Amino acid sequence: MSIHFEKVDHIYSPNSVFEFQALEDVSLDINIGKITAIIGATGSGKTTLVQHLNGLLLPSKGFLTVNDFTIKADEKPKNIKELRKQVGLVFQFAEYQLFEETLIKDVAFGPKNFGVEEKEAEMIATRALITVGIDPKDFVKSPLELSGGQKRRVAIAGILAMSPSILVLDEPTAGLDPQGAKSMMELFKMLNKEKGITILIVTHNMEHVLEYCDEVVVLEKGKVIMHTDKKQFFKNDQYMEKASIDPPIIIAFKKMCEEKGVTFDSDVLTIDKLVSEIVKKRGRR
Amino acid sequence: MNNITLGKYIPLNSFVHKLDPRTKIIAMMILLIAIFIPTGFVGYGIIGVFLLISLISSKLSFSFVWKSFKPSLFMLVFLLVINVFLIKTGDVWLTIGSFNLYSGAVIQTVYIVLRLLLMIIITTMLTATTKPLDLTMGLEDLLSPLAKLNVPTHDIAMMISLALRFIPTLLEEAQRILKAQASRGVDMESGSFKEKIQAILSLIVPLFVSSFQKADDLADAMEARGYVVGAKRVRYKQLKFTFFDFITLVSTSGLLVGLILLRVL
Repeated sequence: MSIHFEKVDHIYSPNSVFEFQALEDVSLDINIGKITAIIGATGSGKTTLVQHLNGLLLPSKGFLTVNDFTIKADEKPKNIKELRKQVGLVFQFAEYQLFEETLIKDVAFGPKNFGVEEKEAEMIATRALITVGIDPKDFVKSPLELSGGQKRRVAIAGILAMSPSILVLDEPTAGLDPQGAKSMMELFKMLNKEKGITILIVTHNMEHVLEYCDEVVVLEKGKVIMHTDKKQFFKNDQYMEKASIDPPIIIAFKKMCEEKGVTFDSDVLTIDKLVSEIVKKRGRR
Repeated sequence: MNNITLGKYIPLNSFVHKLDPRTKIIAMMILLIAIFIPTGFVGYGIIGVFLLISLISSKLSFSFVWKSFKPSLFMLVFLLVINVFLIKTGDVWLTIGSFNLYSGAVIQTVYIVLRLLLMIIITTMLTATTKPLDLTMGLEDLLSPLAKLNVPTHDIAMMISLALRFIPTLLEEAQRILKAQASRGVDMESGSFKEKIQAILSLIVPLFVSSFQKADDLADAMEARGYVVGAKRVRYKQLKFTFFDFITLVSTSGLLVGLILLRVL
């Protein structure tokens, strides 16, 4: 079980006016069983990177290995269906992929493609829909009747129903209200902790990175400029600046305090911890 | 999917790109008429040479045009098969059992192939060298005499330009949905007939839903910026007719006249 990129390049529309190098010399090891955030400015290659993981895109140069699969330049991996079953990829604005008449049928579509019998597929779908928090009385509704946030949950259920061991999410919370985004992140954390699913999240939301992720990969202009654990990442904010990302509010607050001469330990990454540190510091005075 | 070049604008800096869109539209129509004047291979040769020169001066690559032509290959093979069985004129070139291949069938098919190829080159050159917005302006100007007859020329031009504008967007969307469904195990290439139908449905339904949504959003966005159907509009950009436009029109008209003379004489 591993995810490993070896000197991967990806060039869109080679040898044309639209030629664009989206990835350049990407070498990367993603840790299994962790939640890894992939961050970077728009156009830095995040989406291109994750679409390699289930063989939707093939490297222009280099190769990557995912579990037992090798994805090489110009050669479709054997048994690509099995790869796509193991690596569940949730697209940006995934709600647009729903097409069946009812939620349950739509979610069962994935497992059925992988050869599961109709009855069993619907049972799997039921479980997946419950996992993502859809009310069972909505199961027979049309996807078009749901709100945007609910539709996205159904789309995610559609991927979970394939029981992937690696779940890749491309900006899963974009366009959701803060509450909806939070409960969605809680869902991913639960999937990671309880089912041991390796999760990769492409995101712009640093608060989510701080609260839910274990590791951070920073992309800039198609290159991996940093891959480290969360604590290290938030220790120096120059990378956030480089990737033109606003730091989470706690980090920003700590920085302001530091400018005034009050320093906190780099382990302090939650509100609770920060408050108790402040109380401690005040008590000492 | 990425290879679909239909209606795509290629931003280059060339003589053809700089021509007035009206010139290009008129030249296109003249050339399309010229193709249908039956002058045999000589005529197609002349048009071919003319297009070759324009293609080179437009800086478009040959592979780009070839890509636009490729989707119609299937249809051409189909036509060839039909022609071979139906046309029984000319000499017998080949006899297999009781079946005779006539020269008329082959020549007729070659004509159709050439005609289609030339037409695709002409239309591709127009859309690849003209920004959709300029194309609309040109169309609107050319249609403007009809406005006196209460024909909604502006609306027609707007609809055409919107349709052109959304070809790449819809292609992109289709590609995205294809990828999303491929991630759910859809296999567009293999599988039983029923599975294939299901696979196509999984593309078409979301594509329709999102197109309607896009149309709604676009209508709102246009109204929010003060667009009123049928209202009089002024333009920021003015079209200019230059000496090069004159040369282009004269040479294309000359070609048409020449071909007509060739036919008549």
